[in-house]
Amino acid sequence: MTTFSLFDKSSKFDGIYAFFIVNRFQMLYLFFLMPTYLLHPFMIWGIVAMAIFSQLNIKLLCKWLESNYAKKGYQGFVELFGVRMVRLLTFIGLILILIKITVITLGYLEVIHDFIFPSMNSNWIIFFILLTSSYVASLGMKNTIRFVVIVFLCVFWIIFLYFPFFIPPIAALHDLYPLIPTNWTTDSWKGLLLIWSSYSGPEYLICLIPWIKPQQKMSKYLTYANALSTSEYLLLFIASLFFFGSNYLSKSKYPIIHMIRYLQSPMFERLDIILISLHMFVLVFAISIFMLCIYGATRIILKKTSTQPSRMGFAVTCIMLFLCFVIVNNWIWSIETEQNFLLNIQIWLSGITYFIVPTFLLLLTKLKGRVKA
Amino acid sequence: MRRKKMLLVWGIFVSLVMIPGCAPFVENNTIEDIAPVTFWSISKGEKGKIKMSTLVPPLVNEPKSLLTLDVDLLKQGGKDFNLRYYRELKVGQLRLFLIHEELAKQGIFQLINTLLTDYDVSQRMYLVIVKGNFDEYINRQAKKQENLDYYLYRMLKHYERKKQGEMTIVNLHEYKNKLFSPFSDPVLPVFTVAKDNFTYEGTAFFSNDKLIETVTSTEDQIFQLLDNDHYLKFFPIPKLDVVIGRLRSRVNVDLDKNLSLVTINVKLNGRIEEYQGNKNILNGNELMQLQKEIETELEMKTTDLIKKMQELKVDPLQIGTHTLSPFSKPISEKVWLAAWGKMKIKVNYQLYFEALQNTKNNY
Repeated sequence: MTTFSLFDKSSKFDGIYAFFIVNRFQMLYLFFLMPTYLLHPFMIWGIVAMAIFSQLNIKLLCKWLESNYAKKGYQGFVELFGVRMVRLLTFIGLILILIKITVITLGYLEVIHDFIFPSMNSNWIIFFILLTSSYVASLGMKNTIRFVVIVFLCVFWIIFLYFPFFIPPIAALHDLYPLIPTNWTTDSWKGLLLIWSSYSGPEYLICLIPWIKPQQKMSKYLTYANALSTSEYLLLFIASLFFFGSNYLSKSKYPIIHMIRYLQSPMFERLDIILISLHMFVLVFAISIFMLCIYGATRIILKKTSTQPSRMGFAVTCIMLFLCFVIVNNWIWSIETEQNFLLNIQIWLSGITYFIVPTFLLLLTKLKGRVKA
Repeated sequence: MRRKKMLLVWGIFVSLVMIPGCAPFVENNTIEDIAPVTFWSISKGEKGKIKMSTLVPPLVNEPKSLLTLDVDLLKQGGKDFNLRYYRELKVGQLRLFLIHEELAKQGIFQLINTLLTDYDVSQRMYLVIVKGNFDEYINRQAKKQENLDYYLYRMLKHYERKKQGEMTIVNLHEYKNKLFSPFSDPVLPVFTVAKDNFTYEGTAFFSNDKLIETVTSTEDQIFQLLDNDHYLKFFPIPKLDVVIGRLRSRVNVDLDKNLSLVTINVKLNGRIEEYQGNKNILNGNELMQLQKEIETELEMKTTDLIKKMQELKVDPLQIGTHTLSPFSKPISEKVWLAAWGKMKIKVNYQLYFEALQNTKNNY
């Protein structure tokens, strides 16, 4: 039996991998829903404003990533907080990650179930997705991070398919009017929150710092990632305004996919099926990264960081995750009102974590530094 | 030890499979067992029911037969067709949805909603209003003509907007978008069935989801120029003994601030295709005269058409969208329709054309 090395830290990755990871984490599930929640054309400015805030946040995060504590990885955290505190924070992080991937997986699952396999028992889809993710994750953190390149190449070009929607007769300029907010309601605030939480994702880089090369100019790559996600959001939102008009947009739950349904190629009429399948790459990537994070976090909580990761432990993580998904899917997600509740929690949580994590870490590092000096 | 582990893994696997249920695939899509449907035709049945029919089998070398049913609900019809036919009918290839005029006058909102919620139905499916007995026509014609349903679809596809036809062709998505937006009313093409003919008749105007008026011949052609295609291959004006062809229009709509006057400027480019009147069209002056006459004629007809829309309180030309601007609050649909009803109209035509070539004048 060869040694089972999930967390092999021998090779470090360039900042370009951070670019791929951050961009894809920002384009995870929530962007499917985004136009439905934004509705009004003036929300274009909302996306731009949130992009600027997100950029500021990224600056903070990068400052921390370049600090001495970040370079030491786990040991850095221990120095910063002390073992007991680290375990507590890891526990909180574990729960946050668990909620995030549950919502994302079940969200994607709903898309697959609605568009591709309406008559299939949805638990089977969970099973197949998790099986794939477990396989990817079992190849170790190193390979999973490498996998992001494939994921990016598989999914990125889909954005270009939306260009036909910018051409008349589907598009008419008056679909974008009015461009200034005429009535500002609580829904508009919710829209802003949704944009903000869609931008969240870069904060999970702190789970991956042992694998990213220190002394990298991270801020450059993260800025590019942020800018790319922004342009994708804008493109999709404006395209869906052209396609549906802002009156009908709220009626369609997954406008992004319904737009793809309208495109037809002579070869494949159901283009949406192919594209949804390609989007699964992102899902599998996210699940496998987070699965490894969960396993790592459990080891920290159980004080087993010094021992080798075991196959058994990993398998148990996978199975627990599967059970968690199935339980939530059958008892919570399938009830219509509850689903919005879980999704709302996720939107709030990821908004909060994205806001707090970089500031909190940087502040603490500065304080520690001052105490030492 | 090894064995125990293997057993454990198998145990987990089997229980994992058992938890969610059994075989993952429920629907059987073996190609030999299914028959895709190309059209559904809907008309008013007896006692408030809908009469629904479709032609089976499509694109297979078997004699075709028309299935007809009386149902309460659209999807119920989809189900009941299966009970009548040995293959399972699938709606994934539904290309045409023909609605009888009588039914359309009552409103088709529910039907449209049903079609929109079905992910198997393409948003590009054409909607068509039919006058006359379509079932009879299909029954008679299907024996003479193979793949009739497919050819009907090809015909609509040929005249679709980008291919610059002369018909109003509307698909589900376009219809829905106009139906649900406050400043425009949907239109649909009307086809008449008479004996062995299936002819395009004109454009039907809808107020909300109800058909209220059909415009035909000249009025329909003006509608094509103003809003639908902005192109006509032939535009015969029998009153002036002239056919203008390759007409391309540029329409400029100008609304005044307090919504009391709408000015519509239309620039037309084309050429005379045929002339049987007694002017010498090779002579510049007389050509100008003819041009003026045509302009006046078009202005009059267009004003009449728009007045008709105003009386019916419909806005298929989407003039209401011109009230929108980037920096002001949009007015409500009610305010717009009230203003539209009373608005004054000014129509200006500017015609540029080349005269007939290779001709010897009579005079």
